[in-house]
Amino acid sequence: MDAALLEEFGLGDARERAESWRYSAQALRALGAQSFVAADAAATPPPALMERCDWAETRGRRLVFVNGRLSAAHSDWRALAQARPEVRIDSGPAGATVIVLPAGRTGLLHIVWASVPGAAPGRWNATCAIRLEGGTAHVIEQHLAAPGADVLGALGSELEVAAGAALHLTVLSDLPAAASLYRRVRATLRERGVLCTTHALGGGRLQRFDFACDLAQPEARCELRGVFAAQGREHIDAHLEVRHAARDTASDVLWRGVADGRGRGVLHGAIRVESGADGADARLQTKNLLLSPHAEIDAQPVLEIHADEVKASHGATVGRLDERALFYLRSRGVPERAARAMLIEGFCREAFAVLDDAALGARLDTWLATHVAAGGERRP
Amino acid sequence: MNMLTIDNLHVRVAGKEILKGLTLAVRAGEVHAIMGPNGAGKSTLGHVLAGREGYEVTQGRVVYDDRDLLELAPEQRAAAGVFLAFQYPVEIPGVNNTYFLKAALNAQRKARGEPELDAMQFLKRVREKLSVLHMPEELMNRAVNAGFSGGEKKRNEIFQMALLEPKLAILDETDSGLDIDALRMVADGVNAMRDPQRAFLVITHYQRLLDYIVPDFVHVMVDGRIVETGGAELAHQLEAHGYAWVAERKLAGAA
Repeated sequence: MDAALLEEFGLGDARERAESWRYSAQALRALGAQSFVAADAAATPPPALMERCDWAETRGRRLVFVNGRLSAAHSDWRALAQARPEVRIDSGPAGATVIVLPAGRTGLLHIVWASVPGAAPGRWNATCAIRLEGGTAHVIEQHLAAPGADVLGALGSELEVAAGAALHLTVLSDLPAAASLYRRVRATLRERGVLCTTHALGGGRLQRFDFACDLAQPEARCELRGVFAAQGREHIDAHLEVRHAARDTASDVLWRGVADGRGRGVLHGAIRVESGADGADARLQTKNLLLSPHAEIDAQPVLEIHADEVKASHGATVGRLDERALFYLRSRGVPERAARAMLIEGFCREAFAVLDDAALGARLDTWLATHVAAGGERRP
Repeated sequence: MNMLTIDNLHVRVAGKEILKGLTLAVRAGEVHAIMGPNGAGKSTLGHVLAGREGYEVTQGRVVYDDRDLLELAPEQRAAAGVFLAFQYPVEIPGVNNTYFLKAALNAQRKARGEPELDAMQFLKRVREKLSVLHMPEELMNRAVNAGFSGGEKKRNEIFQMALLEPKLAILDETDSGLDIDALRMVADGVNAMRDPQRAFLVITHYQRLLDYIVPDFVHVMVDGRIVETGGAELAHQLEAHGYAWVAERKLAGAA
């Protein structure tokens, strides 16, 4: 079972697969040793779970997938399905869902992936494609799981951004200790296409995020911002790969990681500039914070440059809370716990700084309070 | 009655004795300047009073408002009215100035049993203090000290002091790195706060700041203790003769 999972979730040959899972091999092995039944796509999510995705600002614009399958009963797409639909939902091969965002009619789309455990450990698999045909669209992707038995979800996504279009993607994951999630996203950007992503990854027994972005045509640009937060025994592994394959393309990866308790985080950020992709501008920065002596974070920046005229920079740090900053806040009267929480949240908020959306900003603040503020209660 | 009494204070940092029997008494309404050469222990004194960790008090005591100051956590000292303007204010990216200062002020008020200020009351107070210091309101929307110039950081310290209205304000080399205009603004901010109920401890290396903030007492600190105390004129004598002059006079007096 272990080898099968590695084969299923890994890319490339055996050596490449082993290498890309080296920091999460144990967690994967433990999952592989467990037996799962197919998760029930007709399961009813508990009301408490549905409340967490019932956002006022996305009513009528929400697609809800339960254990990998689109649930008409729990979705609410009134605002999307008017005379000139903002979204077209097609079926792709092998049960894939294809979400098409036509040019010029785009607004906001909220996609929820809810895992609902049954009596026995369950598994679901899904594939989904999002195609932006033009204009600007904002997609929010939310990953949730009800507490209970183990559940392992696997989601393969494709993002396509047409020439001159701009896709803003915000991903929030909020998983309990028994839930595992494997996600593989492949993004392809055409000429002058823009992809701006913000990720808030929290919780989970094993949460693996493989993101490959292909800047396939000139002047395509991507921004990958995100935070992962692992507490307790949570394990989060993000692999970000950006490929500059055309002239004058730009990428900016800005990531923050926080690990507390026995939490484990991995950030692999790789930028590859192909030969001929002159004028590429690539930036990669990751800063990580360890809040307990048993937490661990591995940050692995990789730059591979085959072109001549390229601007590229990368930096990675792993450190502890700045005691000088803590003293500064306390000396002004902020109690120690609150000061710690303030510093940790501020550290993460830097990766969210570009968001110009108050409602979403508040959602991310709530996410931060849930997943990182607990670190404020403990001294290292 | 003294607001602050420091009695024979000995402090070690990383195993090395920095303060070696420092004694000082400060009453409400007074401005005390502490001058001295580099390495005399001036900043250590500021940090010990504010409660920074890593300073080991081996002997002596510090009484503030009838309480043992050294027993209190930094936030308790702040709530009791102690404020330290840092020599090197810390940059805290991602933490908004308004959010931080409102949290700080309300935590202090709560600890003192006073009602917390709501957003409107807080903003009113912020505007009042910003205008006294000629600082732009835009500053409040930025992260704490992030990307501030040296002068802006120091002015932000004085602004925070004005907002928090401490009883005992310790200024740790607030003048270092300031041009003459910024220096004057800082001094104006301090002078506007002089009050019979409030005391200042102004730590400085140069006499320049004391032309604008005229102290009641000047203390010269050398090698971890105060070796000479005088009035404002002592600062000018120091400027003319240098710190070596004090050390020589002490040696002569001892002989």
